[in-house]
Amino acid sequence: MTMPATPTLSPSAVPVRQRPSPAMLVNGIIVVLLGLYLVWSGMAAGNYTLRVLSIAGIYALLAIGYQFIFGHAGALALSQGTFMGVGAYASGILAVNYGVPFDLALPISVGLPVLLALIVAAPVLRLETHYFALATLIISQVVLLIAIEWISFTGGANGIGGVPPIRIFSVTIPPGWPLLATVWGFVALGALLAWQIARGRLGQAWACVRTAPSAAAAIGLDASRLRLTAFLLSAAYAGFAGSLYVHALRVISPDVLSFPIIVSCLTIVVVGSRLRPVGALLGALLIILLPEWFRDLRDYYLLAYGCILLLVVVIAPAGLLGTLELLAGQLLPASPSPAPSPRPLEPLAVRGAAVKTSEAAAAPVLDVSRLCCSFGGVRAVDDVSLRVMAGEALGLIGPNGSGKTTLVNLVSGFYVPDSGRIALCGENITGRSSYRIARAGVARTFQTVALVEDMTALDNVSIARDVNRIGLGAALRVGLRDPVQTRAREEAAFLLEQMGAADAMMRPAGSLPYGVRRRVEIARALAVQPTLMLLDEPAAGLNETEQSDLAQRLRALLKQGTALLVIEHNMSFLAPLVDRMACLDAGRLIAEGTPQHVKSDARVLEAYLGTASELVPA
Amino acid sequence: MRKALFLSLAFAMPSLLPLSGPALAADPSIPVLVPITGFLAVEGKSQRNGAVLALTQAPGGLKVRHDVSDTGTSPEVAVNAFERAIDDRNTVAVVAPMLGTQMLALLPVALQAKMPMLTMSGTAAITQQGNPYVFRFFPDDHVTKTAQVRFAVEERKIAKPALIYQTTAYGQSGREEILKLLKARNITPVYQDALDVSQKDMTAVLAKAQAAGADSLLVHLHGGPTALLLKAASTMGLKLPIIAGSGLSQPSTLALLEPAELATSCAETGSSPISAETPEMQKFVADYRKAFDQDPDAFALGQYDGTMMALQALAGGANTPDKMTKALASTTYKGLAMTYKSNGKGDMAHSAVVICFDGKSRVPTIAKHYDVN
Repeated sequence: MTMPATPTLSPSAVPVRQRPSPAMLVNGIIVVLLGLYLVWSGMAAGNYTLRVLSIAGIYALLAIGYQFIFGHAGALALSQGTFMGVGAYASGILAVNYGVPFDLALPISVGLPVLLALIVAAPVLRLETHYFALATLIISQVVLLIAIEWISFTGGANGIGGVPPIRIFSVTIPPGWPLLATVWGFVALGALLAWQIARGRLGQAWACVRTAPSAAAAIGLDASRLRLTAFLLSAAYAGFAGSLYVHALRVISPDVLSFPIIVSCLTIVVVGSRLRPVGALLGALLIILLPEWFRDLRDYYLLAYGCILLLVVVIAPAGLLGTLELLAGQLLPASPSPAPSPRPLEPLAVRGAAVKTSEAAAAPVLDVSRLCCSFGGVRAVDDVSLRVMAGEALGLIGPNGSGKTTLVNLVSGFYVPDSGRIALCGENITGRSSYRIARAGVARTFQTVALVEDMTALDNVSIARDVNRIGLGAALRVGLRDPVQTRAREEAAFLLEQMGAADAMMRPAGSLPYGVRRRVEIARALAVQPTLMLLDEPAAGLNETEQSDLAQRLRALLKQGTALLVIEHNMSFLAPLVDRMACLDAGRLIAEGTPQHVKSDARVLEAYLGTASELVPA
Repeated sequence: MRKALFLSLAFAMPSLLPLSGPALAADPSIPVLVPITGFLAVEGKSQRNGAVLALTQAPGGLKVRHDVSDTGTSPEVAVNAFERAIDDRNTVAVVAPMLGTQMLALLPVALQAKMPMLTMSGTAAITQQGNPYVFRFFPDDHVTKTAQVRFAVEERKIAKPALIYQTTAYGQSGREEILKLLKARNITPVYQDALDVSQKDMTAVLAKAQAAGADSLLVHLHGGPTALLLKAASTMGLKLPIIAGSGLSQPSTLALLEPAELATSCAETGSSPISAETPEMQKFVADYRKAFDQDPDAFALGQYDGTMMALQALAGGANTPDKMTKALASTTYKGLAMTYKSNGKGDMAHSAVVICFDGKSRVPTIAKHYDVN
C-alpha cells in the first residue's frame, strides 16, 4: 500500500524512557498498603476483625468477577448474587450431604454457575440495558424461589447448617488468620488473573463494545461473544466466591441468593472501580467494613452508612480508585509512551468466499439488487439496485432523509432489509450480522465519528486488526508482551501515518480535533483491509485543505483496488473523487451515472431544489 | 479536585485501620444482638426491649453492660456482630437473634467460642444439633403448633382447614409441624399456600381457600402479613374461624386491626402479657410501657424472662461463659410467663397459650393453656 507522504512525528522523536504511569503507581501503592495491613491484621487483630476482613475478601472476589460483565462489557447484570448463591449451594450441599471437601467440590461450585450463565445467556444477552437488567433479576428471583421451595434438597428457607470449614489438600483451614490468608490468597490470584485477561486486546475489545458498539460491529468484533465471555467469567468468579463464602459462614441459606448481595456487589464496583481489580479490593473493604465501624451508632448506623456512600458516589463518580488515579495524573504527569515503528500491512490471504474464483473476481464488489426497507409506514429504501466495481468510487447523494445512511446500514448489516439481495464479490451477504459482514471485507465510517474516547488513537485503530484472534484463550496465553498486539500497533501506526494522523497516535481519541478524529476513523476502517469501504459524510467538518488531503488519500486507496461508496453533500469534494454518482430521493434511486450527468439530471435538481422551472441558471 | 482528593483519602484510609470492638471494661457484658431492621424488625425490637428491660433491672445491684447490635436479616451480619461481641473478654452470654437462619449460622461460632446464647427463635432445628450453648426461651414450633392444632381440632372442631404460611424459615418450619400434628389426627388441609413476606393482597389466597371448601384457616404468618390477611378476610365477609400463629398476639399487629376485624380469630403464643393475669405481670407491663411507650408481646416477655434467668445466674456467681452455660443448662427458673428448664437440648420453654378476641377489644383473653412435653 503506497500513499502520499505526509509530514509526521517520527517515532524516534518521541521520548522512549518509560516510567510507571500515575495510575499504575496508585494501584501499586494501594496493593502494597493493603498487603501490609492484611499481614499486620493477621498477626495482631482479634477474631472479629479477621472474620470481617475475610468476608471482605470474598466480596472482593465477587466484585472482581462482576467487573467483567458490568465494568468491561457494560451490561447491568443483576444475577451476580445468584451465581454466587449457586456456587455456595453446590459447595455446601456437596460438603454436608456427600462429604465432598471444598477443593474437590470446586469444579462443580464454579462450573455450575458458569453452566447456568451459559443457559440463560442465549435469551438474555440479546437484550439491551434495562431489559437485560430486568431479565437477570427475574432469573435471580426464580433461583431464589427454587432454593426456598425445594426444601428436601436445599433445606428451604432455613437452609442447611453444619457446613465444614475450607479444606484444601486434606488440610482444614480454621477461622482466624489461616482463613484470612487463604481467602486473600485466592483474591490475589483472582485479581492477577482478571488483570491478565483485561489488560490486552480483549480488554480493548470490551471497551469498544461498551462505549462504541456500532464501531465495534463495523470492525468485526462479535459483541455477543465478547459479552458472553464476560458473563461466564463473572459467573465463574461468583461461583468461587460463593464456595468460599459458604465454608467461611458454615451455613447455607437463601440469604446468599437475596437481592442485598447484588446491591453490595454493585456498590463495591461503583465505589471502588468498574474496571480495575485493585478498585474492587478497595471497594470491598470499604463497603463491608463501613457498617461495622458505624455499629456503635445503633439505630442510626444504616443512615450513616447510606449517607457516606451517597457522598462517595457524588464526589467521586469515577470511583475511589478512578479519582485517585485522576489526581495522581494531575500531580505526576505521565511520560508519553513511545510510539511503535510503523509496519506496512501484509496483503490479505483469500478472505472468506470473496475472490475465490475468477468468476467471483470478475463480479462487482457490491451488488445491491431491488433492496427495500421500511420503518413502520415509512419506506426508507425502496427498490434500490446499484453496483460498485473493484477500484471504483460511487458517490451517493440525496437530500436529507432520502435513505442514504439507511442504505449503508443495510449493506453493512446494521439493518436487515425487508426484501432484496446484497452480494459482496458475488457472495450473498443479505441479512448477515454486521460483524460478519465486516469480517467479510466491508468497512465503514459513521456520520458522527464513533471512537473509544479513552483509548489512544493508535489503539482505536490497532483493535481492528486480527479481530478473530481476540478471545479469552489468547488473553490468557500472552506473556508480558503480546506479539499480536505489538504487531497490530505497528500496523496501526503505519495506517495513521498514511492518514496523516501520526502526531496524534498516542493521544486519547477523545482529546483530538474533529478532523483528526475523522482520519483516525478512516484509518480504523482501513485496518480491516476492506474490499469495500462505506464512508458516511467523510468530509463533514473538514476544512478545504483537509478535504483535499483526504480526497488524495482515498484516491490512493482506489488504486489499490478498494471499492468505495461515499455518502457526501459536499459536491466539490465528491465530484472529482468518484467515478459515478447515484441519487436517492424518498428511498428511491432517481438517477445514476457520471457526476456530470447526475448533477444535471432534472429529477436530482428537483429533489434538492424544487421544480426545475424554479431554478436559476448558474 | 482537591476536595475530591481529600474525600477519597478520607474514605479510603479508614479501611486501613483496625476495626474497633467494644471497649474492655471490668463489668460483665451481655450484648444484645437482634434484628431491628428488615422484615423481623417488629419482633426483633420486642426482643431487644425485653432484654434491655431485664438488664436495667438486674438483680442484686449488678452492673451489666449491654451493647445492642442490629443483625438485620442476614446470617453474615449476625456472625459479624457475634464475633464482635465475644471479642470482649467480659462477655458472659449473648442475647442472640430470633431469626432461625441467623441462629443456624451462629451455632458453630458459639460452639467454637463456648459462648452461651439466649434466643427467642422458634426454629426447631437450632436445638436439634447437639449444641450445648443454645438456650431457647420461646416455646419451639412443636410446642406452639401443638397448642394451635389442638385448640383448632378440640375446641373449634375443625376438619377441613386451609393452611396459609410464610415462605420464610419461620413459615416452613411451622408448616411442617402443623402438617405432622394434623396427620396424627387424620386431617389433611384442603388448601395450602405459601406467601412471600412482601405480599400485600391476600384476597386471592382467601378466595382460593374458600373455593377449596375450607372450614377454617390455620395461619402461620409474621405479624404484618397476619394483619393484612385478617383485614382482607373481614372485607370479604369471610366468617371462617381463624387460628393464627404468634404474630397475631403482638400489640404492633393488633394495632393495625379494628376489634371487629379480630372477631373470629384466636392465636397461639408463648404468653400474653397484655392480658396481665397476675400482679407481677401487671408490673412488667407497666414498666415496659414506661420504658418503651408501647405494649409488650410474648417475645419481649420471653426475652425478659430469659435474660433475667441469666442475670440471676450471674448474681449467683456464673461470671464466665462456662459457668453461665452450666447454670442455664441445670437450673429451673420461674419466670413471669412460665417456668423455664432445659430439656437437655436447650429448649427452656414448654408451655403455650391460645388467646382469643371478642370482637370488641384488642386485648385478648387466654382461652387455653397447654403444657407440651
